[in-house]
Amino acid sequence: MPKCTIDGREVEFKAGENLIEVARKVGIEVPYFCYHPALTVVAQCRMCAVEVEKMPKLQTACSTPAAEGMVVRTNSERAKQNQKSIMEFLLINHPLDCPICDKAGECDLQDNSYKYGDAYMRTSEERRTYLDLDMGPVIKKNMNRCIHCTRCIRFGTEVAGIHEMVAVQRGNNTEITTIDGRPLETDYAGNYADICPTGSLTLKDFRFHKRAWMLKKTATVCEGCSKGCNMEIHQDNNVIHRTVPRANPEINKYWLCDEGRFNYHYVVDPKRVTAPKVGAERSTWHAAVAEAKARLHGKKVVVLAGTDLTLEEAKLLQDFVPKAFPGSALLHFGTPGIETTAKDAPADKILKRKSKTSNLNGFEKLGIKPLESMPAADAILVVRGGRAQLPKVEGLSNVIGLGVFTESESASFAAVLPGTSFAEKDGTIVNYEGREQRLRRAITPVGQSKALGEVLMLWLHSGAAKEAAV
Amino acid sequence: MAGQPTSFETMYVQHFNEEARPLAYYLAKMNGYEAAKKAFGMTKDAIIDEVKKASLRGRGGAGFPCGMKWGFIPKESPKPKYLVCNADESEPGTFKDRDIMRYTPHMLIEGMLIGSFAIGAKAGYIYIRGEYVREAKLLNEAIDEAYAKGYLGKNVLGSGHDFDLTVHRGAGAYICGEETGLLNSLEGKRGEPRVKPPFPAQAGAFGGPTIVNNVETLADIPSIITKGGEWFAKMGKLEKSGGTRLFSISGHVKKPGVYELPSGGYTLRQAIFDVCGGMLDDKKLKAVIPGGSSAPVLTADEIDVVLDVEPVMKIGSMLGSAAIMVIDEDTCMVKLIQRITKFYAHESCGQCTPCREGCKWMEDIIERILHGHGKMEDLDLLMSITDNINGKTLCALGDAAAGPVASFVKKFRSEFEAYIRGEKHA
Repeated sequence: MPKCTIDGREVEFKAGENLIEVARKVGIEVPYFCYHPALTVVAQCRMCAVEVEKMPKLQTACSTPAAEGMVVRTNSERAKQNQKSIMEFLLINHPLDCPICDKAGECDLQDNSYKYGDAYMRTSEERRTYLDLDMGPVIKKNMNRCIHCTRCIRFGTEVAGIHEMVAVQRGNNTEITTIDGRPLETDYAGNYADICPTGSLTLKDFRFHKRAWMLKKTATVCEGCSKGCNMEIHQDNNVIHRTVPRANPEINKYWLCDEGRFNYHYVVDPKRVTAPKVGAERSTWHAAVAEAKARLHGKKVVVLAGTDLTLEEAKLLQDFVPKAFPGSALLHFGTPGIETTAKDAPADKILKRKSKTSNLNGFEKLGIKPLESMPAADAILVVRGGRAQLPKVEGLSNVIGLGVFTESESASFAAVLPGTSFAEKDGTIVNYEGREQRLRRAITPVGQSKALGEVLMLWLHSGAAKEAAV
Repeated sequence: MAGQPTSFETMYVQHFNEEARPLAYYLAKMNGYEAAKKAFGMTKDAIIDEVKKASLRGRGGAGFPCGMKWGFIPKESPKPKYLVCNADESEPGTFKDRDIMRYTPHMLIEGMLIGSFAIGAKAGYIYIRGEYVREAKLLNEAIDEAYAKGYLGKNVLGSGHDFDLTVHRGAGAYICGEETGLLNSLEGKRGEPRVKPPFPAQAGAFGGPTIVNNVETLADIPSIITKGGEWFAKMGKLEKSGGTRLFSISGHVKKPGVYELPSGGYTLRQAIFDVCGGMLDDKKLKAVIPGGSSAPVLTADEIDVVLDVEPVMKIGSMLGSAAIMVIDEDTCMVKLIQRITKFYAHESCGQCTPCREGCKWMEDIIERILHGHGKMEDLDLLMSITDNINGKTLCALGDAAAGPVASFVKKFRSEFEAYIRGEKHA
């Protein structure tokens, strides 16, 4: 492999790699704002300019591919002076409202300012201000904070496939906005907030919820569809405040769709059933389990399992069902019309897939059959993670829900045994291409919800109806 | 032109009148389209060699050798090649290309025809600034004439070379005179310069290999082909700089206008006092901007410089587009630089940080000084800002804005100080 020298260290590189990436390999940070590894290089912010031997001018590291024998200095006096000056230029019009800005704590502008900027400002001129613009339900725009990196414009055209963000006006008056000030249309809008290096584009959903540094982060996987995009759950005090994409070059790169990003809301939805129920009434675990057992006892039972459950949960059910209800069918449900992986396909050109549950492939691998049409049964046990779309079970009197349901979904159920959602458990899911990935428990189960294994243990070890009365 | 010297051969000025415009005149009096016929009999390499021999330096501002630029075009390309004429003439003080398009448009068209043949382009564009309404119309008329007589279109003059030429009007942005900004604008995008490399010769208009040349550069080509590169090179008085150049001289001189002078044949002093008849109202000369408003200013002591690319560069300024602006003793240099800086702040495309933020910052500071709110440390601050812009921007506009400010503050510091001390008011 060819080699170049960065800050005195020899580094191997692949042809075409730029100096930012090559320097990163040996732990040398070249600061930047406009560069993004998944977007075209525009070399606009000029923050990454470094000294390259034999070149009279500083070269922007983002747009300079490493070359054999190239000698680069990222921390020469000239490079450092440039970093200082770019920080100054960017801040002369920035409001510096970090104390009330949601980006603070995870802001490229703030971090680079801390590291490369000067403690003193030399400007006394009035700062540039812009009028506010409503960009729709997902993104809050604050143009005064913008540093014109144009990442959002490039994300729109190059990733989301929609030219909705544009630059208007010119020079110092340049405004980054949507065409004609229309609301954003893409269903990947949340990414605008992620890639914005300042607090110019923030999530309305997260706005004023929590300081970034208070959040505890759990690396997990999105359960929104069979794609298996990698994400992080950010919570504090057992409250999920947001989920953000976690880079995985082989699956979702740096992105997450809005459906997946905001999917977590049902976990903390006040309408979620988080206490055992018998009929419409809140109950104790013992009473609810007893009721469930009584309802299913001696009946012709069908067990329906959502493909939003993990492999481990599915395996538990595979072991449990034949013992508890000999001769009963265990069938899976998830997305109407997409009962098998053969019917699963991309739902758009970016990330989304048609199967709206995360583990259809896993269920197939375990040999569990899909629910095609409801078999004749006089009792049903529905087990669900929270996302699989419930099959029609109304009109049946002996339906027991085990897992995550809302009040209205479970209104006709004889009993509900509240279970855990994807954010409250560890487990494995298999995405559409057979990739096994781990869900990680980010928060403890909400309310009295219990993990499936716990509920089944309770089921197996609780005695007869007598005990339930306790 | 009244003051135009006649002691040397010229290519343009004798034809700068309304009668010269029609194709009939060009054919009868200017040996019209004979150069193209000759070029079609030459190999492409031979044409490029002839242009290299001519030492023709780009007339747009950078002074890059034209033959070398043409040589950068790959022989084979999967994408179509393009020849683009930069007729944006946006550098303040420059008005020479306008005369070529107005009076001798066929020189440009023939030059483009030859150039397109040499680089293998089948399509050409003349990107003309939007304000040149009349010139755009005249160019289109001349192009129609050329099409009618078979000098443009399919199989030009039986050579087998196809060449279509289109006039594209800009919308009034200085930055569209920067060649990659021009190409973006031509493609219907925002007029913003591109990251280089790739240079236009590798990937220019619509991604194809592209040559962008100034109007005058291209209009020089027919003469080079007809009379030979050596003849052209000898018209220039310095090595590596051939031909005559059209100078746009304006400001406080008796006879401002477009003059054709040999490259390196005149000093700035001669141009002002001999060619242009001296200072208006015989006032004292204070300063000269020698190459369009982006060129650092020269003081009255610096005018013995020879007018060509290298000599002017050597004394810290640039010949640029050969637009000389002469400034007399009554001119306030602070007001002048305020106006120039306001222009660049207004014309900055806004892409890159130092130019977008820095130009406006400089404008604000100068404005403040002018209105009596300046501080002495503002002058050092201005110098520091110019340092932080110069050579650190995406395109040359940042340098164009920073150079003048640095030179004005350095050479006319006392005038700024007078405002800061409150001795002068705007």
